[in-house]
Amino acid sequence: MSAVLVTGATTPVGRRLVEVLLDSAEDMRVLAVGIESAEQSKLPGHERLTYERVDLRRGRSVRELLHGPARELQVETIVHAAHHRSASDVGSKVHAINVESTRSLLLQAERHPTIRRFVFRSHVEVYGVRTDLPSVFAEDHPLNFSPDAPQWLRDRVEADLTVCARMGMCELQIAVLRTSECIASECGSQLFDYLRSRVCMRPMGFDPMLNLLSVEDLVQALMSATGSDAQGVFNIPGADTLPLSTVIERVRRLEVPVPGPLLRPLYRLRSLTRGTQFRYDLNAGRFHFSGVPDGTRAERVLGYEPSYPVDWSTIAASRL
Amino acid sequence: MSWRSKLAQRLTSSVLTREQQEHVAKVTIDDAGHGFDRFGMSPQGVGVGLSLFRHLHDHYFRVKSYGTENIPKSGATIVVANHSGTLPLDGFMLWSDILLNTNPPRAGRPVADFFVPALPFINTLFCRGGMIAGSRGNVHAALEAGELLFIFPEGVRGIGKAYAKRYQLQRWTVGHAELAIRHRALVLPSAVIGAEEAWPQAMKIKGLSAFGVPYLPVPATPLPMPTRFHLHYGEPIALFDDYPPQSANDPEVLREAAGRVHDAVEALIERGLEMREGVFS
Repeated sequence: MSAVLVTGATTPVGRRLVEVLLDSAEDMRVLAVGIESAEQSKLPGHERLTYERVDLRRGRSVRELLHGPARELQVETIVHAAHHRSASDVGSKVHAINVESTRSLLLQAERHPTIRRFVFRSHVEVYGVRTDLPSVFAEDHPLNFSPDAPQWLRDRVEADLTVCARMGMCELQIAVLRTSECIASECGSQLFDYLRSRVCMRPMGFDPMLNLLSVEDLVQALMSATGSDAQGVFNIPGADTLPLSTVIERVRRLEVPVPGPLLRPLYRLRSLTRGTQFRYDLNAGRFHFSGVPDGTRAERVLGYEPSYPVDWSTIAASRL
Repeated sequence: MSWRSKLAQRLTSSVLTREQQEHVAKVTIDDAGHGFDRFGMSPQGVGVGLSLFRHLHDHYFRVKSYGTENIPKSGATIVVANHSGTLPLDGFMLWSDILLNTNPPRAGRPVADFFVPALPFINTLFCRGGMIAGSRGNVHAALEAGELLFIFPEGVRGIGKAYAKRYQLQRWTVGHAELAIRHRALVLPSAVIGAEEAWPQAMKIKGLSAFGVPYLPVPATPLPMPTRFHLHYGEPIALFDDYPPQSANDPEVLREAAGRVHDAVEALIERGLEMREGVFS
């Protein structure tokens, strides 16, 4: 019998992961954790599924979760996939959910009697994108430590390093999955929001390569990491690698090349008037220079291979 | 079909011969799912590249090539040549020549300096044709995939060399030797004769750092002169046969291995200069 604790279980990725985990074995039990109430969680009713409403920003709540329900269910693995999705929100509360909850979960898990494994969903956005850096990222690619980076990015880098720093320092097996952008609704995808406009502006003279991940592949990667004993950092690419212009074409939007310096104020204006999430300053690097994660290590060690392409028709149908 | 694809198709069908179009159609890439590889190369982009350089190759520089049977048909290969020409005309001609003289066609990957990906429009055009930015990670990934790379160990010093220093190899970096040993890649020593006289440089304007370009070259002539290019391909060198992979970390070994390649390129240059009858013939 085995049990897995899933944070961020009320997101589309979390919900799908819970479903796949429950289907994976007849004795698999899942402890799903979210900030919403049980009624709002939209999780399936299942005898082997337990839902706990927990505010992970509070250390005491985390301790009670791990030493209460998690201990009772004899949870062996934590899949930590919760992070704040909105790029426009800033401040200490956002930092708490992105970084402090990770730190708190990790430290409690290290001292826990049944938890043996910690799988952390990180993001390839933590990597630096510059002309003097490779456009195909291996796991040792330099991270983006720019002091000018928005909090959305700095938090992700800090959380990633917080987890990486504990590898080998305790008995917990730790796997960090740096996942490509999961382009789907309610997943915090910047590109999904960008593509909701009928007109997509992109930097004139640049057409970089992007790699995109589907929800299904992301869940498969989390499953592979959950079922493995391997430790370390793994890039998780998606099945779609294509230029930005082709992405825009796939969702049948009008592509308008605009001189780079104008894009930031134009998208700032869009954000203010339409309440959208896409921030050009977050994406300026990858909208100029290619950035494709190399998934060789995940394939070799975890046995993960992307096999579910992005559903372009769903994205095309989602318009502002 | 997008307007880009239509434009590319029109260009290739109007510039390339039917045989060349059929030849380019046989170019294979490690397709990442949408007709592009991870670095952005596409068969259509290769066709556009050849369309842009074909007249230069066939009619302007009237390229003659020697030793094309030495070009490996497959596997990781590093083409190492002398460099010159204000603009990388030698690179363009080598890329076109290898594409046209291999069957199945090999679309090589020129390894560009860091400032090239920052150049608007140029970066996209070159990437679609196969260029990769010269970072360590990129060349490792390309060699692991069994690609054919172009490396000019003289770098910017080569392309900016004074006319008086033509055919004198400048400071010879060792990175190509390290890559060849580490990735078991063949080194194809090559010499480009004719490029070093084609577009002499009158001066360099330094201090202009737009897009990271190290200097602004001022050529002595408004257009390159129609010198004839002679491309010589030597026998491939299997450095990995003589040096084990762990020796790729030893600077002394790398200097020795790079010296072997340097001497092979120098010998090809000497032979090429002896063979040609004149700069324009």
